[in-house]
Amino acid sequence: MGEMDLAIQEFLIESRENLDQLDRDLIAIEKDPGSRETLDRMFRTFHTIKGTCGFFDFPRLETVTHAGEGLLCDLREGRLAWSLAITGILLELVDVVRRHLAGIERTGTELEEDDSFLVEALGRLRDRGHDTSGPPIVPGPGSIAAPARPVARAAAAATPFSGLAPASRGEPADGSPAASPSEGTIRVDVGLLDKLMNLVGELVLARNQIFRFTVDDHTSSIEGAVQRLSLITSELQEGVMRTRMQPIGNLWNRFPRLVRDLSLQCGKRAKIEMVGKATGLDKTVLEAIKDPLTHLIRNAIDHGIEFPEERLAVGKPAEGTIHLRAYHEGGLVNIEIHDDGAGVAPSRIKQKALERNLISPEQAARLDDRDLLRLIFQPGFSTAETVTSVSGRGVGLDVVKTNVERIGGTVDLQSEPGQGSTFKVKIPLTLAIIPAMIVTSGGDRYAIPQVSLLELVRLEGEDACRRIEWIQGVPLYRLRGELLPLVDLNRILGGAPPQPPAPGVDPVANIVVLQADNRRFGLIVTEVIDTEEIVVKPLAWQLKKIPIYSGATIMGDGRVALILDVLGIARTAGMNAQGGECACARSDVAADATRSFLLIGLGDGRRLALPLEVVSRLEEIDAGTVETTVNREVVQYRGGILPLVNLATRFGGATAPRDRLQVVVASDNGRDVGFVVESILDIVSATPEVRDLGNSPGILGTAVLQRQVIDLLDVPSLIHGPAATMKGA
Amino acid sequence: MRALIVEDSCATRTILSQILRGLGFQVVEAGDGSEGLVRLEETGGADLALVDWNMPGMNGIDFVRAVRRRAAHDSMRMMMVTTETELESIARALEEGADEYVMKPFTREVIAQKLELMGLWLE
Repeated sequence: MGEMDLAIQEFLIESRENLDQLDRDLIAIEKDPGSRETLDRMFRTFHTIKGTCGFFDFPRLETVTHAGEGLLCDLREGRLAWSLAITGILLELVDVVRRHLAGIERTGTELEEDDSFLVEALGRLRDRGHDTSGPPIVPGPGSIAAPARPVARAAAAATPFSGLAPASRGEPADGSPAASPSEGTIRVDVGLLDKLMNLVGELVLARNQIFRFTVDDHTSSIEGAVQRLSLITSELQEGVMRTRMQPIGNLWNRFPRLVRDLSLQCGKRAKIEMVGKATGLDKTVLEAIKDPLTHLIRNAIDHGIEFPEERLAVGKPAEGTIHLRAYHEGGLVNIEIHDDGAGVAPSRIKQKALERNLISPEQAARLDDRDLLRLIFQPGFSTAETVTSVSGRGVGLDVVKTNVERIGGTVDLQSEPGQGSTFKVKIPLTLAIIPAMIVTSGGDRYAIPQVSLLELVRLEGEDACRRIEWIQGVPLYRLRGELLPLVDLNRILGGAPPQPPAPGVDPVANIVVLQADNRRFGLIVTEVIDTEEIVVKPLAWQLKKIPIYSGATIMGDGRVALILDVLGIARTAGMNAQGGECACARSDVAADATRSFLLIGLGDGRRLALPLEVVSRLEEIDAGTVETTVNREVVQYRGGILPLVNLATRFGGATAPRDRLQVVVASDNGRDVGFVVESILDIVSATPEVRDLGNSPGILGTAVLQRQVIDLLDVPSLIHGPAATMKGA
Repeated sequence: MRALIVEDSCATRTILSQILRGLGFQVVEAGDGSEGLVRLEETGGADLALVDWNMPGMNGIDFVRAVRRRAAHDSMRMMMVTTETELESIARALEEGADEYVMKPFTREVIAQKLELMGLWLE
């Protein structure tokens, strides 16, 4: 039985390979219907499957492939001319065969499905062909089968073995035959490659370990040997990695068929062109991008390419083209999916996003075209007027983005209205060995994938004190004048919350500035060790559910270090979407339903929230520097005059006089205002549903943030409106 | 006894090879006719060749013809492995110098009988 299992495995593998080729051939043959070579290959695929089915007792599969073989035989012999109907039915046949193969893989037997309709349809096609082209030139197999058998027997008996076969001259097979592809390549079990990869990973670790021993020992003659070991290990690592590389063409090969089917389904015409098919990618990466790429192709046909008449009307060829391009760049693979369709108009995106409440009108006004285009990756966004069966089904491009980001990649969109769109996907070559920054926190070591790392900031002494603001336990750091939310790794890991440095102790802070999605934040770690190539090991199931870890690795000294998931940390820390990003990278203010708010206290327990994106700075000023002009209080600030609005008194409360004032500097349309507050409480992310409960002037509405009802400050009205001219504190 | 299997389908090769090994043959496999010729040179020949008809590259009949043109493998017996749709071609293969044919799907018993017919295997 085991022997049969092996044969079935081989049958499944080779049949699928042949069917993949058949898919490609079916597309190719539409362009060149007379290609004998292609027809032969297609014939052979059905022929081989049919022939092998007999051994395993798969009668249904045998019947359908037999019908396909017959049809191809007619085509090959010229009894039937190629037509669109033939392509259609053969594609259908390929699907049926694949279903059977899948069934065989799952259950060991073919499916119980009734394919007779297909067999009959194939028969009808053949009959119709015969009718038009006259009676078959060559008698069918049925008529020759009977006499052939005795002839064979007789011949076998008459010439037991003869060396008298006539020699035909010029036979290329004589002498040195051309190398067949099977000589230069062998099929290797993926499990074995995975194991090799693992072993190489271990070797890299052992190398790192030995390397550490010899770092301090320059005199020893072992140094040279270690260097050689190091070099060979690196080469071996590269070599093994290459064995796992598969050309992206393996994945793309399915796309011509997909494009054909989808465009027919949508009533459009499209073709696909590919550049860089040979670009190699690690197997696991290739598998991971399969769905995102398929989705982008679907999207291009469904939403990108216009209907033929529309295309002709604007002077484009009726048939749209999708260009796929792949190339290596700096350790990453770039994949571009370009369509020459209608493109995406940022104004339309803006309109849709507003309709769907993905952004507020204020946000919309602030977004540039690039930011607007990014909105289409937001959950709940779809530019299709109607949900179609092709790329609709409620699955949006946000899934593409999530899937690409899961493997450490990025996706971006460029579009020229009227000219088409280009999606750019960047992904790492491999997921197995990655460069990472090793840091410590709470005495343990952690690895941070280098891909998310922007910069390292080390603050010492007074510097640290002055530039990190420990406001109500929420640390913020001003990096080159911009606010960067800080997350203490130790706190995320469940350790003690960060404490403002005790007086007298020389404070040191190591901040790892990270990019997660479109947001930036600083991760406070105890110590930054070094960068290292780490071998990614999957997490045990107990740890898999913890979002802040993405894997584990073994360090040079044999200890285990967990690999941090930067996105997971950002989420755990509650920095959704543009937490920090608004203040740090103004141009990146992506509009997301989730927004970040600065929570402030007005004393006497009252709280207010203001959108973080309007906050440019948090200041503490000496009450003595406040000057009073005719109708308001101002302070000299950064070479200008900053009007102050005391929010407590503005909203009808009282404030106790203080020596130092907490000031939130906010800007709108180039005008600044300093809000004097009692305390700065927190930064929270939320998707608030703002309600207008008949609020007083200066209040935008009321929202629920952190399960509390909080008034939202209407910053523009406070800056530009009459309130700004009112006397403040 | 040594056997060469010339067959492009991996699955069929495995099945044939298992049957022949079970019958006591040492088996060498090739994916098409030209590879079959190379294997023959490498191994110094075989007593039996099982040859598929329809293969990419060099097909079965060309292989038979090429082998028979060389005196070195005169003593090698060749059996065509076919399906019923290829029966018309068997006569041609036999003319070119093949000795027997077997039709897919075959069983171990059928192969054994055919070998017995050729005097290559006795139960």
